[in-house]
Amino acid sequence: MTSIISIDNLDAHYDDRQVLFDVNLQVNPGEIMVIMGGSGSGKSTLLKHLLALKKPTQGKIQIDGHDIGSISSKELKELRKKMGVAFQGGALLSSLTVGDNVRLPLEHNTNLDTQTIDIMVRLKLELMNLAGFENLMPAELSGGMLKRAGLARAVIMDPRILCFDEPSAGLDPVTSVELDELILKLREAMNMTMIIVTHELESAFKIADRIMVLFDGKVAMVGTPDEIRNSDDKRIQNLINRKSRDEEVDGDAYLKRLVTGD
Amino acid sequence: MQSIMNGVSNIGGYTRNVISFIGMSFVFLLNIFKSLFSRIPPIREIVRQIQFIGVKSLPVLLVSSLFTGMAVALNLYNALIRFGSADLLGPSVAVGLIRELGPVMTALMIIARVSSATCAEIGIMRNEQQFDALDCMAVNSYRYVMLPRLMAALISLPILTAVFDMVGIAGGYIVGVVIHGESAGTYIQGIFDTVTFNDVLIGQIKSLVFAVLIIWIPMAYGYFLHLNRKAAGAAGVSHATTKAVVISAISMLVMNFIISSLML
Amino acid sequence: MNIDITDFEQFKVVKLTGEVDLHNSREVKNVLLDEVDKQHHVLVDFSELDYIDSSGMATLVEAFNRSKTKQVQFHIVGAVGAPLQVLKLTKLDSVFSLLDSIEQAKG
Repeated sequence: MTSIISIDNLDAHYDDRQVLFDVNLQVNPGEIMVIMGGSGSGKSTLLKHLLALKKPTQGKIQIDGHDIGSISSKELKELRKKMGVAFQGGALLSSLTVGDNVRLPLEHNTNLDTQTIDIMVRLKLELMNLAGFENLMPAELSGGMLKRAGLARAVIMDPRILCFDEPSAGLDPVTSVELDELILKLREAMNMTMIIVTHELESAFKIADRIMVLFDGKVAMVGTPDEIRNSDDKRIQNLINRKSRDEEVDGDAYLKRLVTGD
Repeated sequence: MQSIMNGVSNIGGYTRNVISFIGMSFVFLLNIFKSLFSRIPPIREIVRQIQFIGVKSLPVLLVSSLFTGMAVALNLYNALIRFGSADLLGPSVAVGLIRELGPVMTALMIIARVSSATCAEIGIMRNEQQFDALDCMAVNSYRYVMLPRLMAALISLPILTAVFDMVGIAGGYIVGVVIHGESAGTYIQGIFDTVTFNDVLIGQIKSLVFAVLIIWIPMAYGYFLHLNRKAAGAAGVSHATTKAVVISAISMLVMNFIISSLML
Repeated sequence: MNIDITDFEQFKVVKLTGEVDLHNSREVKNVLLDEVDKQHHVLVDFSELDYIDSSGMATLVEAFNRSKTKQVQFHIVGAVGAPLQVLKLTKLDSVFSLLDSIEQAKG
């Protein structure tokens, strides 16, 4: 089976600071790959690269046979029609109603009839439990609703690949579980490949086929939920058991940091 | 010594940042104009923006133009009466307004009302990843977000400027004719005899150039908000908005002088 | 994608083969609405259908709704696999009348 997404030796920088070090990953079609790591681990940066919002400093990213580093803008446009992205806060356009937000990709990228588009939008809103919210403005929605509306917009074109940034961040446990179930149902029915970025362990173990763990911009491990659970890596065990990072303290270096700030 | 060297290298870094920002802003403007040719511009958005930039500016503009015209006429009348040439009041007010004050004052009002709001709105859109989302949906944000605002400014400003000129001249009429009892015929006929097509043309060219400046600069400051790593979030938006308003006003005034001196 | 139209009893059988997606759902829509507007009873045969996306589903909803106003029968026949999953996901299995085989439509 050939990978639908493959990342080879990816390095990434913000200005002079390196945030990703030699990242490698292969994602199979129809697979749910969870990218897990704490804040500052580089997982958001990795997602930015997968969405071609940032170009790699070094290394190669291939999605559906296209090299993101050298893709033409026309090919990128076609590729993006096959990719759906649900952003952390929904990223709905604040000047449009929820319904108009969800229909935006269809209106720009297809020539379907208005009536067909109307029904498609309502089908997706029903799916996300947002029936009846079509004519509200994003500002009138709660955080969880915004997230679901963003997901509705992400899947409106029935993409082959769905990227989801922090599905459960900021949600109450019940809503979070519902969203996890929805993700699984979507994959089952539409056979979507999913890249899900999260720091929530429970949700990650529940939905993932495989999990990639990032620490400080480096890949600590890629494996099935069971393999991750049984890993000997101390940092991964700390992450699973929610222990704080108890690093060895170098007394002299610590004193120097406190006094000089270096 | 160390801090002096830091200061020097900061100046170098600062200059580099300013130059790269100017470069990016020009590419940004070019992309907006380019998006004009890709598909039909989003008419509904343009109408909405004309509503915001043009129609809703009218009340403020009417008041400010009336009082500006009256103040100008008041001063000119006192100066002209000393030379016994109060009959030149109409033409003086009209030429001053049409060539200079009309375009400049209108642009300043729009900077206060629209440029600030535009920069804040686009900055917040950037903060909330709305531009990332548009990119990922293969929706051209230049065409969808920027172009309507630019077109609306280009359509609204010349009309607003013309309104400012006319109401300002009416303000001068109130001071000269109604208050000081000069002849109405002289005031109006003087304007028709003196104001040339060239005067009107300069005023309109200015308003078009100003329209681009005072909408492009705030849009660029909002759009590139994320590149300023030192001031992100709400602080970033307020910082960018302040800067955008100041730079818009200054560059508009400098451009006004350049056009005036080129087209005398 | 292929659309074949055959006759069975009083029905027009519209057989969809392959994949229905954004690019061809308009074709499906035209055929289905055309048959319904001609007051024909319609069976949409899903048995050879590999995939249908939500534009296809929306199209079926439109045609099904039209069939109600025209008072003709409209059944979906032989949905299995991915298309059935999509019907269930969107809860449209509770809206459409689903039949296992064409013969069922008779009685």
